[in-house]
Amino acid sequence: MSSVPASAFLALALILFCIGLYGALTKRNTVIVLISIELMLNAVNINLVTFSKYGLNPSITGQIFALFTISVAAAEAAVGLAILISLYRAKKTVNIDEMDIMKH
Amino acid sequence: MNLHWILSILVFSPLLGIVVLALLPKTQEKVIKAVGLLATVPALLLALAAYLHFQWGKDLADFAVSVPWIQFRGMGTQEPVFSVYYELGMSGFQMLLVVLTAVVATLSAIAAAKFVKKEWKGYFMLFLLLETGMLGVFTAENLILFFIFFEITLIPTFFLIGKWGYFEREKAAYSFLIYNGLGSAVLLIVIMILFGKTGTTNIDLLTQMMADPNVPLSSDLKLGLLIALLIAFGVKLPIFPLHSWMLKVHVQAPPSVVMIHSGILLKIGAYGLIRFGMGIFPEQFKTLATLIAVLGVINLLYGAFLAFIQTDFKMVLAYSSISHMGIVLIGLAAMNEAGVQGAIFQVVSHGLISALLFFLVGVLYERTDTSLIENLGGMAKGMPIAAGFLLAGALASLGLPGMSGFVSEFMAFLGLFKELPWVAAVGTIGIIMTAAYLLRAVLGMTYGKAHREFTGVLDLKGVEFVPVVVLMLLIVLIGVYPSVLSAPLQTTLETIMLGIGG
Amino acid sequence: MGLSTKTGRCQALLGFDKIRVVPGTARRGIVIMMENAWLIPLFPLLSFLILLLFGKRLKEASAYVGILFTLASLVYSILVLFERFSEPTYGTNFEWLTIGDIHLTAGFEVNQLNALMLVIVSLVSFLVHTYSKGYMNGDERFPVFYAYLGLFTFAMLGLVISPNLLQTYIFWELVGVGSFLLIGFYFYKEEAKAAAKKAFIMTRIGDVGLFIGMILLFWQTKSFEYSEIFKAVDAGAVSGTMITLTAILIFIGAVGKSGQFPLHTWLPDAMEGPTPVSALIHAATMVAAGVYLVAALFPLFQASKTALLTIAVIGAFTAIFAASIGLVQTDIKRVLAYSTVSQLGYMMLALGSAGYVAGVFHLMTHAFFKALLFLAAGSVIHAVHTQNIEEMGGLWKKLKFTGPLFLIGTLSISGVPLFSGFFSKDEILAAAWEGGHPILFFLALIAAFMTAFYMFRLFFMVFTGKPRTEMKNVHESPANMTYPMMLLGVLAIVAGYVNTPWFGSFLGDWLVDGNPRLGHAHVEGPIWIMIAATVVSLLGIFMAYLMYYKRSLARNWLSGTGDTLHTILTNKYYVDEFYQLTVIAFTKGLSYFLRFIDVFLVEGLVKGVVGIVQGLGRTGSRMQSGQVQTYGAVAFIGLALLAVIYALTGGYLR
Repeated sequence: MSSVPASAFLALALILFCIGLYGALTKRNTVIVLISIELMLNAVNINLVTFSKYGLNPSITGQIFALFTISVAAAEAAVGLAILISLYRAKKTVNIDEMDIMKH
Repeated sequence: MNLHWILSILVFSPLLGIVVLALLPKTQEKVIKAVGLLATVPALLLALAAYLHFQWGKDLADFAVSVPWIQFRGMGTQEPVFSVYYELGMSGFQMLLVVLTAVVATLSAIAAAKFVKKEWKGYFMLFLLLETGMLGVFTAENLILFFIFFEITLIPTFFLIGKWGYFEREKAAYSFLIYNGLGSAVLLIVIMILFGKTGTTNIDLLTQMMADPNVPLSSDLKLGLLIALLIAFGVKLPIFPLHSWMLKVHVQAPPSVVMIHSGILLKIGAYGLIRFGMGIFPEQFKTLATLIAVLGVINLLYGAFLAFIQTDFKMVLAYSSISHMGIVLIGLAAMNEAGVQGAIFQVVSHGLISALLFFLVGVLYERTDTSLIENLGGMAKGMPIAAGFLLAGALASLGLPGMSGFVSEFMAFLGLFKELPWVAAVGTIGIIMTAAYLLRAVLGMTYGKAHREFTGVLDLKGVEFVPVVVLMLLIVLIGVYPSVLSAPLQTTLETIMLGIGG
Repeated sequence: MGLSTKTGRCQALLGFDKIRVVPGTARRGIVIMMENAWLIPLFPLLSFLILLLFGKRLKEASAYVGILFTLASLVYSILVLFERFSEPTYGTNFEWLTIGDIHLTAGFEVNQLNALMLVIVSLVSFLVHTYSKGYMNGDERFPVFYAYLGLFTFAMLGLVISPNLLQTYIFWELVGVGSFLLIGFYFYKEEAKAAAKKAFIMTRIGDVGLFIGMILLFWQTKSFEYSEIFKAVDAGAVSGTMITLTAILIFIGAVGKSGQFPLHTWLPDAMEGPTPVSALIHAATMVAAGVYLVAALFPLFQASKTALLTIAVIGAFTAIFAASIGLVQTDIKRVLAYSTVSQLGYMMLALGSAGYVAGVFHLMTHAFFKALLFLAAGSVIHAVHTQNIEEMGGLWKKLKFTGPLFLIGTLSISGVPLFSGFFSKDEILAAAWEGGHPILFFLALIAAFMTAFYMFRLFFMVFTGKPRTEMKNVHESPANMTYPMMLLGVLAIVAGYVNTPWFGSFLGDWLVDGNPRLGHAHVEGPIWIMIAATVVSLLGIFMAYLMYYKRSLARNWLSGTGDTLHTILTNKYYVDEFYQLTVIAFTKGLSYFLRFIDVFLVEGLVKGVVGIVQGLGRTGSRMQSGQVQTYGAVAFIGLALLAVIYALTGGYLR
C-alpha cells in the first residue's frame, strides 16, 4: 500500500471539521448549517477510519463505528430537514436568526 | 425480643396514611381528616412505648438498626470505597425529641382538622410526609440519612405554607425555602467534606474519629466546618441575623403548620448544633463558646426588645421564638452539664409552649379574624377559658416556676453563670424583658376594656380542649417534676461531656 | 411510727424514693405532725384545683371549699407549731432534678421561723377566706376569686417551708403570680390591668437579682440548701466580696417583693385588687416574704457588714420615704399601702441592724394589725362604696364594729403602749440604736411620728366629724366579715405580749434557740428609747387630733402656704414619672432602634443579596439570545480554552 501518513488523513479531517464548524456557526441559511454539520460528522468519520487503520491497536471497530455514524447522521439529517420544512411552512423563512421561538 | 424494626415503622408509619389518602376521593372531608389524624397515632404510640421502654430500665440501643444501603465500589476492587448505611437509632435525647415530634404532630393534626378550610387531602398528605421527615431527622444515625430526611421536611413545609397560609403566603414560602435551602447546601458541603476525608458519615463513628489525632483533618478545617455548621443550623434555629425568614413564616403560615414549625422544625437547628456541632467538634466548639454565648444573649435581647413593640400577636410570638432560642445558645455556650441540659430542656419546653400558644392563636383567628393585640383587647370577657389558657401559656413562656420554661431557663443560666458570669448577667435582662413583652401582649389581648362586642364569639369547645389540655399538662409536668426529662438525658450528657473533656 | 412508714411508702410511690433526713436533725421523737408538714401547702392547692375544675358548678359554695381547706391548713399549722416547741427542727428532701453530678433536691423543713410563718400565713389566709365570702358576695367570678386565693395560699405556705433557695425562688415566683392574678382580678378595668402588669414586672426586676444571687451562691457553695450555704459561709469557703455581692443581689429580690425603695411603686398600685386581697397579700403575707427571705438567710447577711448596712439604710429610708407620702394620700387603701411599705422598711431596718428577733417579731405583729386595718377598710368601702377619705366622715356611729376595730389597728400600728405594735416597734428602735446606726434610729423615730400622724388622720377623717358627702344605705358588714376582724383585733392587741421587756422574751428565746448565729433573743436598749417612742407616737396622734378632729390647726399648717412640698408628696416624689421618662422610655427607644435595625439593616442586607442575585440572573438571561449559533460559538470557545489549559498544564489543575 502507498504510504500516505496518518497525519495527512488527520489534517484532512481537521480541515473538513473546521470548514464545517465555520459554516455551522456563521451561515444564516439553515440548510447550509445542516450541511456544515454533516461535514463535521464526516470529519469525525475520517478520524475514526484513520485510527482503525493506523491506531495503536488497529481493528475493525473504528470502521464499523464510522458506518454506524453515517446511518445515524442520515437519520439525523432526515429529522433535521423534516423540522426545517415544517418550520419553513410556518414562518416562510430558513433564516436561522429568526428561529428563536423557544426563547420568546 | 427483636426491636430493630420498630424505629423504621415509627418513622415511616405516616406514609401509610399518605397511601390511604391517595386512594380517597377529594370530597370526603370527614374521612380525610380522620385518616390524617389516625395516621399520626402509630408514631405517637410507638414513641410513647419507647419512652416507657426507657423508664422500665431497658436500653434504648435495642432499637438501633444498621443495614448496608448505598455502596460505591472502586474500579476493580470488591471492597466498597464509600458505603452508606441505613442506620436509625435512639439515644435519650433523640427519644425525647421523637416523643415531642409525635405529640405535637398529632395535636397539630387536630388543629388542622379544625382550622384548615380547603383541600384537606393535599394538606394531610404533605403533612404526613413532613412528619416522616421530622421523625427521620431525629432518628437518623448518619449524616447522609439525616440530610435526606432534613430535605424531606423542607419540601412539604414549603407547600404547606405556600398553599394554606395567609395573604402573603407565597412570599413567606419562598423565603423559607431559599433560606433553608442555602442552610442545607452549606450542611451538604460539610457532610461531603467529612465523608470524603473520613469515609464515614456515621455520627458516633465521626465523633470518635475527631477525637483521634491521626485523622487527617487539621484543626483549622474543623473550625471551618463547625462555623459552617453554625451557619447551616443557625438559619434553622434561627440565630440573629439569619432570622427574617422565620418571622414571615410565623405570621403567614396556617396555625397548625406553625405549631409544627415553631414546635419542631426550629428544634432541628438546636438538635444539629448539639449532636453535630458540639458532639463532633467539641474542642472547636469550646473555642467558639464565648462567641456563641454572645450570640445567644444578642438573640435573647434582640428578640425580646423587638417583641415588646409588635402590634400583631403572631409577631410577638415570632420574636419570642428568636428570644427563646437565644436561651438554647446560652445553655450550649456554657458547655457544662447544667447548660447543655438547660438547652435541651428549652428545646422541648419551647416546642410545647409555642405549640400551645399558636394553637390558641389559631382559635382566636378563627373566631375573630384577627390576631392584632389591639383588636382583641378585653377578650377575656367573651372567651374566659381561652384567655385563661393564653395567660397560662404566656406565664409558662416567661419562665414561671412550676412550668417547663423555668427549669430550662434556670439551668441554662446556671450553666453560663459558672463559665461567663458577665455575659450571663447581661442575659438576665432578657428575663425581665420576656415578662414585660409577654404581659404587655397577653394582657393587652385579654384584660382591659373590650373594644368590641365579644357576644357570639365562642369559647374553646369540644375537641379543641385536647391539644390545649395535653400541652398544658405536659408543660406543668415537666415544670413540677423535671426528672421525666432529665433521666433519659443523663447518658447523652455524659457522652457529650466526655467529648468536651469536662 | 406507723404513720411515718406509710408516708415513706407514699413518697416512694410518687417516685420520691431518695428521701433523706437532714443530718443532725433526726431524732427518735414522735414528730408525726412535722413529718407530714408538707401537707399544709397541699390543702390550698387542692382547693385551687377543685375550684378551677368545678368552680362554675359550685358557684357560691366554692367559698366553703376554700374556707375548709385553709382551715385544715391552719389547724395543721398550729399543731406543727406546738410540736415544734418541744421538738428540734425537722426536714426531709427528695431528689428533684439531676444535672450530671449535681443533684438538686426539694423538700421541706420545719424550723422556728417556718413554723411561726406557717401559722401566720394560714391564719390570715383563713380569715381572709372567711371575710371574702361576705365581701365578694355577688361577684360574677366568685369561684375564680377563691381559686386564686387557694393558689396564692399554696404558694405562700410552700415558700415558708422551703429548705433551700431554689425552692424558695420557685414559690417566690408563684406567690408573685398569685398576687398578679388577684390584682388583675377586675380584669376589665384598665387600672387593674396596668397595676397587675406593673406588679409582676417590677417584682420580676427584683427576682432577677435574687436569681443571679442564688446562682452565684450556688457555684460558690455547691448547694442551694440553706444549711449547706451557712456551713460554707461559716467555714470561710466563700470570699468576702462574694458574700457581699450575693447577699445584696438576694436583697434586691427582697426589695422587689417587699416594696422597698426604689422598687416600691407597684405596691400602692396593687390596691386595685379586691380589698381582702390587699389584706392577705399586700399587707400580711407576700410583701413580708422579702423580710422573711432576709431572715431565712440571716447568717449569710450576718457575714457581710456591707450587706447589712445596705439593708438597714434602704429599710430606714423606705420607712420615712413611704411614711411621708402616706401623709397626704386621700385614698383609704393607698394610705394603708404606703404605711405597709413604711412598716416593711422598719422590718428591713431591724434586720439590717442585726435585730433578727425584732424584724421577725414586727413581721408577725404587723401581719395581724395590718390585715385588720385592711379588712376594716374593706368593711368601710363595702359600706360607703368609695375609697376617697375626703368623701367619708362620721362613720363611727354607723359602723359599730368596724369603727372600734379600726381604732385598735390604728393604735397598734401607731405604737401606743400596750398594743402589739408598740412592743415590736420598740424592739426595732432598740435594735437600730444598739446596732450603731444613730442616724437611722432618728429616721425611724421620725417615721414613727409620721405613722401615728397619718394613721390617725385617716381614722379621724373616716370615722369622726360629719359626713362630707351624702351616704345612703350605710350598714355594718355581715357577720362573716366582722368575726375575722374581731379575731384579728384581739391578736393586734395581745400578739405583742409574746415578747416584751416586762414579761420575758419568749418568742425571741425560742426563735434563736440553737442558732447562735441569729444574735440575741432580746436587745436591751436604754429605757429612754421606749419613752421616746411613746412620746413621738402620742405627739403624732395629738397633732392629727388637732388638725383633723378639733380642726384647731389648719390642714396646711405643716407645709405652710407654699404648696410645693404638698404637691411633691401627693405625686409620690414623681418616682413613677421618673421611671416613665427613663427606664420605660429607654426600653421603648431601644426597641424602636432595634426595629429600625431589623427592618433596614437585616432586611436591607437580605434585599441587597436578593438584588445581586436578581441582577446576575438578568444578565444571564440577556445572554440567552435564543441564537443557536451564538451558543455553539461559546461552547466551542469554552472547549478550545479547556484544550489549551490541558495542553499547558498536562491534565490537572494544580
